[in-house]
Amino acid sequence: MAYQLYRNTTLGNSLQESLDELIQTQQITPQLALQVLLQFDKAINTALANRVRNRVNFRGSLNTYRFCDNVWTFVLNDVEFREVTDLVKVDKVKIVACDGKSESTQNKTDKW
Amino acid sequence: MQLSSFTWNLLEILQILDQVDQVRCGVMDESALERYFDDSIANDSAFILGEELGLQSSAPPLDGPASSVQNSSFLSTKSERSGELGDELDLSFLPDDLSTQEEPGQDDTGADSQTSILDVSQDSGVGLNFTSQDSTAEPQQEASISGLRTGASPFCPMTPMTPMTPMTPVTERSGIIPQLQNIVSTVNLGCPLDLKFIALQARNAEYNPKRFAAVIMRIREPRTTALIFSSGKMVCTGAKSEEQSRLAARKYARVVQKLGFPARFLDFKIQNMVASCDVCFPIRLEGLVLTHQQFSSYEPELFPGLIYRMVKPRIVLLIFVSGKVVLTGAKERAEIYEAFENIYPILKGFRKQ
Repeated sequence: MAYQLYRNTTLGNSLQESLDELIQTQQITPQLALQVLLQFDKAINTALANRVRNRVNFRGSLNTYRFCDNVWTFVLNDVEFREVTDLVKVDKVKIVACDGKSESTQNKTDKW
Repeated sequence: MQLSSFTWNLLEILQILDQVDQVRCGVMDESALERYFDDSIANDSAFILGEELGLQSSAPPLDGPASSVQNSSFLSTKSERSGELGDELDLSFLPDDLSTQEEPGQDDTGADSQTSILDVSQDSGVGLNFTSQDSTAEPQQEASISGLRTGASPFCPMTPMTPMTPMTPVTERSGIIPQLQNIVSTVNLGCPLDLKFIALQARNAEYNPKRFAAVIMRIREPRTTALIFSSGKMVCTGAKSEEQSRLAARKYARVVQKLGFPARFLDFKIQNMVASCDVCFPIRLEGLVLTHQQFSSYEPELFPGLIYRMVKPRIVLLIFVSGKVVLTGAKERAEIYEAFENIYPILKGFRKQ
């Protein structure tokens, strides 16, 4: 069972909205929409694990942290995301992280 | 002459001398002793000197005028802070001892307390130094007694470095005060807690029941960590003073209370205090373990420090070649100070030349 962590991302939310539209217009059943989302979970997890090779470093100050149900939630302030090519500065970032199975940790970040 | 009667006679004489001085000088100078202890508690909790040293004598807790002024100002800032802190919480965490403090304005009681402090400190001095200083101390007292009889007081005006206690010359006190590094305390919040709920709602909390059955919560001021158990019991670690530990525990209790639990603050107790200091000279640990083998254990292949288990007070000291000393196992600050004053002359005897 893959993490449903990625449903609340730009990609995942767009998918969910589209599925809701299709359900509204009776083109698909809700059960089918659920199956689509489950398939999405599997696909996004394997894609991030296998097809992502780049590395981003980030540094900021820790505002709060939480660890419950093996999920880490951090809120950082004044964060700099640094990749070889460019730099992005943010005032506040919330990081929700689940346990990774291989070297790549499956992270999801929301920017404010 | 018996030691104890000799000592008490001397104390009486010094008491009289002190009063004579104050009448003559019209000013109450702080003795070196009071300043010595005032420095150590200046940035710390408002601990009363006399109370700590009162452990060694039957005198009730008293403090000198200067330190009581310091204490009362600290007390007022404390009550301000506690005012904004715990609206819902019982604010009587301020130690009961502070309520029996004397007013700084009362000169005569101040004089008495100053004298009593000196008496008490002299007591401790006698306890420490009598065995080694017997012969040298006695002639000094004879001189002081004869001084009184002739009516000329050699002790006025009092310079800060003139000790009122010839039995304990300044060089006998180590002049080093161990600094508290860690205080571990426990408190009972008095109600069962839903740890998962707390971990999900509170900030800066960790909960991994597979690994450890408690929520680990941290606060930044005072910088401490708490282990909160489902029974409602809590352990608070990391504070640098007794008052900070109590304050931190109060803050955690308030967090739990704000989450909706009927938290109380029962049986707050300091379980362990750790302090460290530096004697500033290297030490021959091998020599120390040979002469004090019933108290020491020194295995350089296992651990580079000598573990000295002092019997009275029951404190464990880690003594290192560099001269750094770690003291742990204390329930009271006075035990730390007493243990260090006990070990210091021993360490001086094993100084590496």
